[in-house]
Formats: sequence, structure tokens, C-alpha cells
Amino acid sequence: MATETIELTGHIVDSLLLAKVLDAIVDAGVEYEIVDVRIGRTNVDPSQARIELDGDVEVLERLVDELQVHGANRVVTGEAQLVEADQDGVLPAGFYSTTNLLTDVLVDGRWLAVQSPEMDCGIVVDGDRARTIPMHRVRRGDRIVVGHDGVRVLAPSRRRGPTPFEFMSSEVSSEKPKALVVAQVAERMRAARERGGRILAVCGPAVVHTGGAPDLARLVDAGWIDVLFAGNGFATHDIESNVLGTSLGVSLDEGTPTEGGHSNHLRVINEVRRHGSIAAAVDAGYVTGGVMATCVRRAVPFVLGGSIRDDGPLPDVLTDTAAAADAMRVEIPGVTVALMLASTLHAIATGNCLPAGVETFCVDINQAVVTKLADRGSHQAVGIVTDVGPFLAQLADHVLGGRG
Amino acid sequence: MAELSWGRRYLMCPPEHFGVLYEINPWMHQEVRVDPDEAHRQWDGLVAALRQAGAEVEALPAHPEVPDLVFTANAGIVNGRRFVPSHFRFPERQGETPINASWFAEQGFAVDRLPEHLDHEGAGDALPFTPAGGSPVLVSGYSFRSDAAATAALGELLGCPVRPVQLVDERLYHLDLTFCPLDDRRALCAPLGWDRYGRKVVEALVPEPLWLEDDEALAFTANSVVVGTTILMPHVPPRVGRQLEAWGFTPVEVPVGEFLKAGGGCRCLTLALDVVLTPGSDEPR
Repeated sequence: MATETIELTGHIVDSLLLAKVLDAIVDAGVEYEIVDVRIGRTNVDPSQARIELDGDVEVLERLVDELQVHGANRVVTGEAQLVEADQDGVLPAGFYSTTNLLTDVLVDGRWLAVQSPEMDCGIVVDGDRARTIPMHRVRRGDRIVVGHDGVRVLAPSRRRGPTPFEFMSSEVSSEKPKALVVAQVAERMRAARERGGRILAVCGPAVVHTGGAPDLARLVDAGWIDVLFAGNGFATHDIESNVLGTSLGVSLDEGTPTEGGHSNHLRVINEVRRHGSIAAAVDAGYVTGGVMATCVRRAVPFVLGGSIRDDGPLPDVLTDTAAAADAMRVEIPGVTVALMLASTLHAIATGNCLPAGVETFCVDINQAVVTKLADRGSHQAVGIVTDVGPFLAQLADHVLGGRG
Repeated sequence: MAELSWGRRYLMCPPEHFGVLYEINPWMHQEVRVDPDEAHRQWDGLVAALRQAGAEVEALPAHPEVPDLVFTANAGIVNGRRFVPSHFRFPERQGETPINASWFAEQGFAVDRLPEHLDHEGAGDALPFTPAGGSPVLVSGYSFRSDAAATAALGELLGCPVRPVQLVDERLYHLDLTFCPLDDRRALCAPLGWDRYGRKVVEALVPEPLWLEDDEALAFTANSVVVGTTILMPHVPPRVGRQLEAWGFTPVEVPVGEFLKAGGGCRCLTLALDVVLTPGSDEPR
């Protein structure tokens, strides 16, 4: 939602211009309030009306353009108000809370593009640079944007052109032809690669449980994944499957629980801890394959975020969640495609940090995950309701085989 | 019913350099050639018809770089001894502004300028209607050539009410293709060219409009010049002619086919010099 103020002057009553402008506002489904109106005393005196508009950013932008034709001018908002933070880790009261959309702030008469668009942050202005800042990173003396003046939010399509995945712009559905969807995701990955964009994979343990890890490893090995986010579970089961052939104790070849398998993942974590890091365990030959080992060998950065119920955890897991989120933020710039693979918590955590312009594909057997992601503001997410294992197999075939 | 208080003195520019040299409205096609001799004959015919109807004609010297200078209706807006020169939307015509401004200044008019960033194409997009017992109201078209915001500025400069009307049909790109005041009760009106608000504005202002059918409007019927009870028209549709005669007017068809190739008719070729919109503005400075 955004607010704009327009002004209309002249013989706007007799010429029905005011009526026309108000009708156009109502037709656009935009809320309005006439904040000031002065009607000329005679038919020679000009009248003036100032109207405040409230509505969806994109609709408002189009409406204001349309109203300009009728002589209604946008009232230029004042400069962004900057207040110094008086305490580390605390934003000034009344701080502007960001969306994940591209945002500009007006400072010293110039519109500055806010860098690293991310939802639920503040905006810090430093000289002629503006960027989002998570609450905990605020330092005393940082100049933070307060209130809505001098802030404009740009609809993604304004700068990006038509949405590239219009084919899936409908609601999340389990009833789309999967082969087509896979081909389209592969196409988007290729397009991102051609434009120099980075591809992010966010993985849940089900990738390993469903047998998708070797296919994901193929993609990593061929350089199609530039960064990977996951948790202790995914990394552990990926290594467990490589070292012991099981995932959470279940044999990946037989599909049956193995004897004493319930502790397999603990033994693996324990050994990796003995080596000090996943990379060290790979170097020592303890882990020879799988997604994590391939990341290590191909120098693909990964961020493992921790949670309370983690066993171990693996030494690479960042148990300070604020530090984990910061580590993710470091890797996000340049990402243009995100694959959320059967991961509820990490997908939502990543969604919170991604700019709205990142093409996000959420693959999950559970439709609710996609809905959840969208409900938390990642409206750009396209849902693909399917079993992640076969999905990854087809995707790797497409991308690596050059099919589609 | 009273005749128009204006329309007895006109500024015209001979078609010495006239031609369709660019395309800035849907009627213009560069491949269509203008016959210069025929254009001269038609222009002379219009001058003769105006004089015969009792009007005076003054000449603005032609200029080789601006072929559309022949359409003097777009020079600007006359208010007594004051003049507001047009600001043209298309670069092809912007060279006309200084020529018009200096001619009027030389004739002793006070020249008032619109703000630089606002477009308005003069009497081509603004014609006064004076209801019986009332004072003149300038009806001003906007969208294709003039800005709606210019009408507010115009109202301030002229000191008279200005009613902007949105033009919606590209073929009727100027107000003078859709509106022709006939006296203090009547006007030729082409609703095809206006949005629904514009139609209401005109309905409220003009007691007895002669509504033109779409094909009549597209034949430039409204682009006519009224001299007292004589109406010089590019085309007189029989139905319209009968109605005008019934009202006591004499419609005269004046061939201007060569100029229609550039999207202009009788009105476009003339600018009334005797318009007074506000009392006192006709006094010399």
C-alpha cells in the first residue's frame, strides 16, 4: 500500500474535471480523501482541490499517470526524515519498516535507490547511499528513515518488464503438467545464467530422504548452483547417505530401516565434529560425495542455519540465528533465481531476506508451504506441488542434458 | 437570439510554403501531394467568401520553414488587444510560436506567455461561447495537442472561465473539429470527439446544440467560420444545411480540399482577431 497526494486547480467544478478525477479514482479501486478544497467565489475564480490517495502501489502509479492527463499534479512529498539511532541494535521510534520491493528515498533533493531490498528492516542513509538494515545491526548514530515522507516504493514490474513466468502466474496447484513446469524452471535458470544472475538452492532434508541429493549434486558439480542454504538436517543426512548409505537410518537403496540406523546420523555428526568442519572431513576422505562434498570441492558457498532441535550440530552450523541470517544476507546480492526445495523453515527464512524481484520457485509436496511463503510477503514465489526427488532428477536431466 | 459578437476580422496566412511535409495527425500522409495552384485557388476563394460575407482579412506573411503556419487558428488566443501565443506539442510546429508572437507584438498587442512546460494550441483548441445575458466562456479541448493543466493557466492569464473538455478521438484532434459556436444559443457539436464529461459540459453551456453525426463530424463540418449569419463550411451535409437554414443562417460550402489533406478546414485557416473575452481587454495599452 502507498499514499500519494494530487492537486487539481482551475475551473474544475463547472468543467466536471473534479467529478471526472474522483470517478477515475473510484473506478481504480483507490481510497481517497479530499484533504483541502477551495471553490472559486465566481465562475472566473479558480478552484483548487488537494486529494490524498491510498492504494496498491502499482494501481496508484497508473492512476496518478492517468490523472496527470486531466491536469492533476502529484504533490511532491517532502524529504525523507532522518533520525539518529540513540542505541545499538534499536531503531528510532516511528522508523520506516521496509517491504521487499524496490524502494527509493528522497534525501537532499535526490532519490536514492535503497540497496539490498529486504522486508521488515529499517533504512539507513550514509552520505549518498541508502540501504536496508536489520534491527540488530543498527549502531548508535546511524541515520535512520522515520515516517513515510520521501519514501516511494516501486512495483517490481515497473523496472523488470513483463513477468517472465507468466505461465505459472495462477494460484499454486498440484494439477499442472510437471514436465512442462520442470522445463520452464530449467529455462529460467538458463536465462538467469545468461544475464549473469546467481542461482540459490534452499534445501530441506526431504531432498535426501526422497533420493534427490545425487541429482542436486550433479547440478552443483556442473556449476548450476551458486549458493546453498540449508540446516543441520539436510547437511547431516546428505553426509549420512554418502558415508553409511542411509538417510535417517533408512537405506536409500532398499527403502527399509537398517539395524541401529536411528543413531546413524549422530555417528556421522560426531565424526565430522572430530574433523572440525565439513570441508576438513571431505579433505580427509571421510565424506566422498553428495551435495555438501560437491559444494566443498566446487567452492560453492553454503550457509547452514541452526535450530534448537538440531542434533550435534555439525561444526559448520551457525547456532546464532541472527548471525546465520547475516551470513545469508552476504550471499544474497546477485541472486536472481531461488529454488526452495522441500524446506519449510529455511524457505521462509530465506524469503524474508530476498528482494521481491528474485524469481522464486517453491517445490514441495505440501501446498501449504507455498501458501505460507506468500502469506509472509514473498508474493513472487511460484509454487510447484510435487515430490522433490523426481523433480530434481528431471530438472538435472533438463539443465545438464540441454533438453527443453 | 443575438449574433456572435466576434468573427468580422480574420488573420490568414497565404499557402506559399504549404504542403504535407510531415505527419502529426491521422489525416496527414506524406505521400499525398498538395496541388499548390489548387491550394492557392482555394485559399483565395475562402478570402473572397469571407469578404463577401462582410469580414475583413489580414495577412500573416508565410514562412518557408513552417508549412502549417497557414493554419492561423493555432497561432494563439486573442482577447481584445491581448494575445497568448500557442505552445505547440510537436517540434514540427514549435517554430511558429516566435513568428506569431512577434507579428502580434508589432501590431500593438500585449503578448502574455503560458508557462514554458505547458502545451496549448490556441484558438484551434479553444473557442468562446457566450450564452444570452452571460459573459464569454472559453471551451478548451485537451489531450492530443493541449494540456489540461494549461487551461488553468489560461484562465488566469485571460481572466475568463475556461472549461476543459477531453478530446477522445484522434481524428478530431483539435477542439475546432468538434465545436463551432453559431450565436448565443447554438453551436455545431460533434460528441464523437468528447468524453462523457465533456458532452455534459457542453450540454450545460449550449442551450440548442446541433449534434453532428459521426460521419458529418469526420467530414470537417464543425471546422466552419461564422460571419454574422453566414457560415463558411468545408462541407455542408444536407441535414445540417436544412437545420441551419431553418434557424436563419446561410451555409456556404467553400472548397478547401487541399488543406483537408493536412487535417485542416475553413476554421483552421483563420484566426478571429476581434474576440473579446473579458471587458476592458480591448482597450489599447
